[in-house]
Amino acid sequence: MTCDQAKLVFTDYWSQTLGEAQELAFEAHLGTCDACRAEAERLGSLWKSLALIPSESKDFEPGVNLRSRFYETLGAYRQGLESAPKRGWRERIFALWPREPAWQMGLSFALLVIGLGVGYQMHPVKGAGVQEQPAADQEVAQLRGEVNSMRQMVALSLMQQQSAGERLRGVSYAYQAPSSDTEVLSALLTTVNQDQNVNVRLAAVDALHRFGSSPVTRTAIVQSIRKQDTPLVQIALIDLLVDLKDGTAAPELSKIINDEKIDSAVRQHAKWALGKLQ
Amino acid sequence: MNATDNVLMGQVSNGEVAKMAVLFERHHRPLFRYFVSMNRNRELSEDLVQDVFFRMLRYRASYDPNQSFTAWMYQIARNANVDQAQKRKGEVVGIDEFDDRRPEPASDSPGPEQTAAKGQDLALLRQALDRLPAEKREILVLSRFQDMKYEEIAAVLGCEVGTVKVRVFRAMRALEQAYFALLGERTA
Repeated sequence: MTCDQAKLVFTDYWSQTLGEAQELAFEAHLGTCDACRAEAERLGSLWKSLALIPSESKDFEPGVNLRSRFYETLGAYRQGLESAPKRGWRERIFALWPREPAWQMGLSFALLVIGLGVGYQMHPVKGAGVQEQPAADQEVAQLRGEVNSMRQMVALSLMQQQSAGERLRGVSYAYQAPSSDTEVLSALLTTVNQDQNVNVRLAAVDALHRFGSSPVTRTAIVQSIRKQDTPLVQIALIDLLVDLKDGTAAPELSKIINDEKIDSAVRQHAKWALGKLQ
Repeated sequence: MNATDNVLMGQVSNGEVAKMAVLFERHHRPLFRYFVSMNRNRELSEDLVQDVFFRMLRYRASYDPNQSFTAWMYQIARNANVDQAQKRKGEVVGIDEFDDRRPEPASDSPGPEQTAAKGQDLALLRQALDRLPAEKREILVLSRFQDMKYEEIAAVLGCEVGTVKVRVFRAMRALEQAYFALLGERTA
């Protein structure tokens, strides 16, 4: 065994993972080479001491609050999971109600205007009896349109806010928008590509699910993968492509797999995704 | 017999999210050690531990039970660490809580491990470790503090096992240099 070969097995020697034959050869080399023996002893001693550092200091012990914070988060997460599918229409409507007084006032005013408008439209007109049912349907459709545009307005406004928390709320409002709403789709795509906060970007990726039927969405998702600087978001986008069963993404995924500039975890995930889509 | 981490995470992945508590109990301390060794900031490290467990819950569906749980968790931990570093770019430097701090005095009767390490000042060794570049410090922390096998470290770092061994050896050499430099500073 040469000195260079010996240095390659230092780490295995310290970790006691050398095979019997290799260990004998290594020790035989140390017996004949003073320089390697001295280095093995010096570094081996440091190697042993290194493992003792965490037990020597309380700096490496987490505070007592960490555990309680985790269980609170886990509890809230479980509660969220359990309550999500059971939500009734009443809770959904209440969940739409904003928390800030300014938004509450705006929303109240908008609802008042809508109510007046609908009331005016529904005012009975003599001789209109035959057309009463179609007219009512039209009004319901109009009301639905108004509500949708209000949701759109709230979602778009919140997604422009300075605070990441507000932008997250904006993204959650996007779930209420119809899947054909191109303005909300466009705002979500902008958020995915440009928002500075990773959590907001991730939430926007999730929200894109409902817009997945649009070819625009699929193309934008594929293009967005390379624009991301965080592997987490890239992986979330790849997951989205798999969920949407977008076979057209296969060529781009192949490019990602072979692009060494991209994070290895992302490339591995792209490989997995490609297998799922083919 | 206790369920393996991979089995538990597979169950979490299938909707049994309460099982994440067992994984937390097993891994939050080593994870905290990893972050605190990398960032030297206890509060930030506790936040990052929370973040990692939350991300594991959020991305539980993407977990592949054939993949090592530890490797998967540390991949997430590294990403979380990179994300926070990017977020903190431009902030005032001064997060180092431990600079030049002395460790608590060792107990009166040292155990066999302490006896094995006699002649080496652990406080100085820790300062030397802190002086290493992040990638060298990280590989030593994963290997010695987290007691991870080279195969697992390779999976976390996305490289070959042979590369890990070479990097560990280089990091040890760098640590030795830093240690003796500090020793020289002290005696000068």
